[in-house]
Amino acid sequence: MQISDYTLGFRKPEKYVYKSKKGLSKKIVEEISWFKNEPEWMKKFRLQALEIFHRQPLPNYENELSKVNFDDLYYYIKPLDKKAASWEDLPSEIRDTYDRIGIPEAEKKFLGGINAQYESEVVYKSIKEQISKKGVIFLDMDSALQEYPDLVKSYLGTIVNPNDNKFAALNSAVWSGGSFIYVPKGVKVELPLQAYFRINAPKMGQFERTLIIVEEGSFVHYVEGCTAPVYTSSSLHAAVVEIFVKKGARVRYTTVQNWSKNVYNLVTKRMHIDEEGIGEWVDGNLGSKLTMKYPSVYLAGRKAHGEILSLAYAENGQHQDNGARAIHFASETSSKITSKSVSKGGRTTYRGLVRILPDANKSKTKTTCNALMIGKNSRSDTYPAIDIRVSDVQAEHEATVSKIGEEQLFYLASRGIERNQAETLIVNGFIEPIVKELPFEYAVELNRLIQLKMEKAVG
Amino acid sequence: MSLKIKNLSVSLGKISILRDINLIIKSGEIHVLMGPNGSGKSTLAQALIGYKNYKLNNENYELKIDGKNINKLQTDERAREGLFLAFQNPVSVTGVSVADLLRSACQYNDKFKKFSIWEFNKQILKKAQILGIPQDFLKRDVNESFSGGEKKKLEMLQALMLKPKYAIFDEVDTGLDMDALKKIAESIIYLKNQGTGILLITHYSLLLKLVKPKFVHILLKGRIIKSDGYKLAMEVEKKGYANF
Repeated sequence: MQISDYTLGFRKPEKYVYKSKKGLSKKIVEEISWFKNEPEWMKKFRLQALEIFHRQPLPNYENELSKVNFDDLYYYIKPLDKKAASWEDLPSEIRDTYDRIGIPEAEKKFLGGINAQYESEVVYKSIKEQISKKGVIFLDMDSALQEYPDLVKSYLGTIVNPNDNKFAALNSAVWSGGSFIYVPKGVKVELPLQAYFRINAPKMGQFERTLIIVEEGSFVHYVEGCTAPVYTSSSLHAAVVEIFVKKGARVRYTTVQNWSKNVYNLVTKRMHIDEEGIGEWVDGNLGSKLTMKYPSVYLAGRKAHGEILSLAYAENGQHQDNGARAIHFASETSSKITSKSVSKGGRTTYRGLVRILPDANKSKTKTTCNALMIGKNSRSDTYPAIDIRVSDVQAEHEATVSKIGEEQLFYLASRGIERNQAETLIVNGFIEPIVKELPFEYAVELNRLIQLKMEKAVG
Repeated sequence: MSLKIKNLSVSLGKISILRDINLIIKSGEIHVLMGPNGSGKSTLAQALIGYKNYKLNNENYELKIDGKNINKLQTDERAREGLFLAFQNPVSVTGVSVADLLRSACQYNDKFKKFSIWEFNKQILKKAQILGIPQDFLKRDVNESFSGGEKKKLEMLQALMLKPKYAIFDEVDTGLDMDALKKIAESIIYLKNQGTGILLITHYSLLLKLVKPKFVHILLKGRIIKSDGYKLAMEVEKKGYANF
């Protein structure tokens, strides 16, 4: 047994208060809304989204999604009847789960607050006093809806409309959990805020919804990481993240996903950035069967800057279909996209879109895509789209595909280094520019995961 | 204690490159292999470390380190047995720093097993100083945009760290200024005094004047056609290879 299988492949017995029936219907959506005691407008929002979901076709790049049976999934599971207030209040079973993925250590050193999601519901949150004193709101989305309904209503669904794509519609209809962050004007949140997500029940969908609003001149770094137990039936994860970066504000959103290899991970992430604001996505994808994720920046105000750094690793049986979108609406906006992918017997795809609209004169954009392939049966494709509708811009695109060279392996071998380790050294070196952007503990964990993966033979 | 090469014949595809090479290098000896371009010097160096694309033709071929046959071993295994090759044109390895390379290469070395990272780094810095390598060099990617001289110094730095039983230096003196050449020569002598058996491949007598090897071999068209003492190198310098 591989160590990685052991540490990441465990599974806890299920313990639920409520579990919806399998499948998706108007009745189930109404039930979810009723169960959560939501305002009428949210119920309507959900039901409209459900209609859109039924209407919308699957994003059919390769027909890989045809195996998802939407009627064979649970759309809402409530694991506990009340939320735990502190770490000690959590049931030992759940605490044990978090211990194994190392959350307490992480919290001690780095966290500003934990907002950990166990199945569909946020069960544990601890917000450090100083951030709430500054007026920062950090809640799970369900609580935010209850406590700040007007704030939620004025932003939710405005940048990722249910019409956007089938999975955004699905999420809008059945969302549960996720994080809500509001940072008032002029507040800089020094420590990264973190949340962990886990799928712990077979055939269960997870549809968290995250909304982050950062007012003028403020800053927040949100970190989201997930590992998941291994199951035999396919799971679906369809999340939506909406972020609003106001004038001169800066937001960084970091994700490391390591879903088990049966999960379909379909996430819509978008940032709306106002004048002189900075928005950054750092996105690491190691797990899942299929991930389709294209973090976007909408550069809406003059001199807005968006940056997307992504990393993908695909083994046998995995397809990482990742990318980035930068839409320049205003003048002097800039975007920078850096994508690195490693395929070791799996498949990686870069799908990018850079669009510079007529008002976005004097804008700049740069895309760099590097793919590294190891062994046979690896595949990597790049589909960059650049659509420029104004003349006064500067656009760069650079793409490379490389194989780990025999010459380099021979050189390292001549120093006594075994082939596996030599490959790991090269891969770690290749992804280093992305890894160094991660919080320290994530960087260590990621390097360790890559090492474990590299030790396995090409399947 | 010796590196023993017996009946080594090498071809690449259908082209025969080396024929019946026999050589014994004892611990603490410096041997020099000289020969015109294309005589097979680098092929010999790479064949000894186990380059896979070469075909070995002679069934009676032997390659022994201190009596242990290593001719069936892979490159990394040969290296761990104590054989080292300083490449003439070492490749760059993007993303892997010099320090990473040294740490990975030295992990098998018993000497370093009890060292903490801090002590290990101190060792690297000590050796780097001998070669006049600045500290920031260690953070750079291996051979990535290195000058010719820097590449040679990195090869030598690895040799100094690993202290191999037997080391082959393939044109480690090419393209060096006088200061660098002296440091390389000092390093070779240091290794020799530590008991490393050395095979130097070179075109130039300058390095030879500094290290004073006792054994000189002339390689011509894939064969060692003459072996003698230091004076043979002087002879080559005066008259070239035309007389052999």
